[in-house]
Amino acid sequence: MDLRDFQNRQLGPEDFFALARKYLPQIGIFLVVVLLLSASVSMLYRIDASDQGVVLQFGRHIETVEPGLHWKLPWPIETVYEVPVQRIQSLEFGFVTQEPGRTTRYEAARPENLVVSEMLTADLNLANVQWIVQYRVKNAHDFLFNIGGSEPVSSESLPSGETTDVNPAVPDTIRDVAESVVRTLVGDKSIDSVLILHREEIAIDAKERIQEMLDGFEAGVEIVTVKLQDTDAPEQVKDAFEEVNRARQNKERVVNEAEGERNRQIPAAWGKLKQAISEAEGYKARVILETDGRISAFKAQLKEYQEAKEVTRIRLYLESVEKVLSGVGQKTIIGKSVRGPLPLLDLDRDIPARNTSSRTVPAQSTSARYGPAAAALKGTQP
Amino acid sequence: MMHSSTKRSIKTWIPATVGLVLVLVVICLATATYVVEEGKQAVVTQFGKPVRYVVDAGLKFKVPFVQEVHLLEKRLLPWDGAPKSVKTRDKKTIFIDVWGRWKIVDPEVFFRAVRTEQRGQKILDDLADSTVLDVVARYNLIDVVRSSDAELEYESDELADSIRAWDDGVTTDEDVIETVVLEEDAKPQDVIETAVLEDGSMGREQIEKDILEAVSEMLKDSYGMELSVVHIKRVNYIKSVKEAVYERMRSERLRVASLFKSQAIEEENIILGKTRFELDKIEGEMELQSATIRGEADAEVIKMTALAYGQPPETLEFYTFLRRLEVFENSLGENSRVILSTDGEIFRLFEDSGIEQ
Repeated sequence: MDLRDFQNRQLGPEDFFALARKYLPQIGIFLVVVLLLSASVSMLYRIDASDQGVVLQFGRHIETVEPGLHWKLPWPIETVYEVPVQRIQSLEFGFVTQEPGRTTRYEAARPENLVVSEMLTADLNLANVQWIVQYRVKNAHDFLFNIGGSEPVSSESLPSGETTDVNPAVPDTIRDVAESVVRTLVGDKSIDSVLILHREEIAIDAKERIQEMLDGFEAGVEIVTVKLQDTDAPEQVKDAFEEVNRARQNKERVVNEAEGERNRQIPAAWGKLKQAISEAEGYKARVILETDGRISAFKAQLKEYQEAKEVTRIRLYLESVEKVLSGVGQKTIIGKSVRGPLPLLDLDRDIPARNTSSRTVPAQSTSARYGPAAAALKGTQP
Repeated sequence: MMHSSTKRSIKTWIPATVGLVLVLVVICLATATYVVEEGKQAVVTQFGKPVRYVVDAGLKFKVPFVQEVHLLEKRLLPWDGAPKSVKTRDKKTIFIDVWGRWKIVDPEVFFRAVRTEQRGQKILDDLADSTVLDVVARYNLIDVVRSSDAELEYESDELADSIRAWDDGVTTDEDVIETVVLEEDAKPQDVIETAVLEDGSMGREQIEKDILEAVSEMLKDSYGMELSVVHIKRVNYIKSVKEAVYERMRSERLRVASLFKSQAIEEENIILGKTRFELDKIEGEMELQSATIRGEADAEVIKMTALAYGQPPETLEFYTFLRRLEVFENSLGENSRVILSTDGEIFRLFEDSGIEQ
């Protein structure tokens, strides 16, 4: 029986078995080849640059492989979990990073965020604290096999685009731990410490404590960063907090201005003082020199005078009279024949009042001492 | 013909039998072996009765069809308590949210008493939720919040004073109290707290420890479960109290703000006053020093003059004469009027040429 006969006949079951019997070795070889091929495909696998592969043989962890191409025994015998050990992953608390143009989703997410971010401080005030935790797998075995639970990671806890599907129970645990730790720390600080003074200390302490607790669980993760983002007073009291800042700044400004005014005026006053002293010193030098000069001049005159007393006296006197009379604006000389002209003179004419004080003349005794000429001046007094 | 047919049937039977045996072997292997993965443990039951417990990972064997394998978690499992409102010892109503981690420590007891993870969660809910209420009710609110008695730090002393005044409940500022709007169920004592920690307690950590101990005691031996940790996740005021707390926070701050405002005026006045005082002092100093120097100069002049002109009498006389002439010269000017008589020494010339003499 050959293939040509077979084609010309009606096909029956007995013919099928006959055919199967005839080609049994070929079918067997074909099946073995297919099995081997599929096995070899499932035996070849690749580990990404940022990952590690955890190889299980019948469920037992036998080795952890580094990035690259690897062989393993086919499926029922060996399986591989790919764990991202290099990749740093972020968890956000109290806020959600969103892509541009998706603001509406953020609004909807707000009340849930507030539940996370609003916490009590040690003085029983309320503060809104937002923070992030960044972590990395440090031990792939621990990461996979020490923490369980089947709850999927809620999308809000992961920045968009990132997923952790290997063991979602670990980020869930980090979330629980981080919330407890941050609240415990905030609960032991004043609101001012939380909002302004000790933000960094809180973050540093939180990192340490979260790591400590996770190490207690042998979670196989390393906390890379804990960072406080916005730390705010609740919306309802923000204005009062700002009022304090404003008042404080205003106080500083007013004080600075007053200090500035003071710093401007005091040196100016000291400058004035130094100037006045300099002026007084100048005055002192000047009058002493002047006096010196006058004394020198006098001494010279005295020497001359001592040599010819009477002549000098008369000369000085006459020079003086000459000088005076030539300088005087109005002169009236009354002769012997003219008697009683005084009523005719308008004595106040042309004499400004301011000069009254300068109209004094030597007293009687003085003119007497200088001689008859001086005595003549006596009558000039109005 | 017969011979050849027998021969053919034998030829047919051999591979068929081999194939059948192979299939049977595969089925036997599949039902007689099972894999326990890392992080899991297994209970093997025979007709429903547990006969063996496997805690190590690897390939395991059992009697096919007779024995059944139940896989259980060996890893740490989550437990999240429902957020609850609790009354603290000081009668404050708060929301509290607690979480924990537990594991199956005795698969034998667990399998018999609980059987599934989900039922384990339920048991924890039943036991732990009520324990949280009991424990928290033994503590004051401040203990739930704080975990040490460390001194609190504030941005300024004014704020510290303002907030402590509230904490001590001794605030005397009537205005501040009046601005606090309290809702019906939020009495003032819900707002004014005592900041004193219970003796010997460590606040929150102590409460967590108490809850853990109480739940562990209940779980002991009878469930095959162990609660590894319990932590308080969230604590917050209930809504009505929250409003009062916001008002209190506002008052505390506004009080400090007005304090800063009056301090600004006060300090400005102090500085300006001090400035005025110093300016006056400097001006006085100026008057004093310049008057002293000028006085010294004048004294020096007097001394010099006295020395130069005072002695002997002839010198004094000449000096006096010269000074008189000076005064005489300086006293009369362009605006003076002089009336002279020809009787005088100088203008006698008008009357008498003097030639006759």
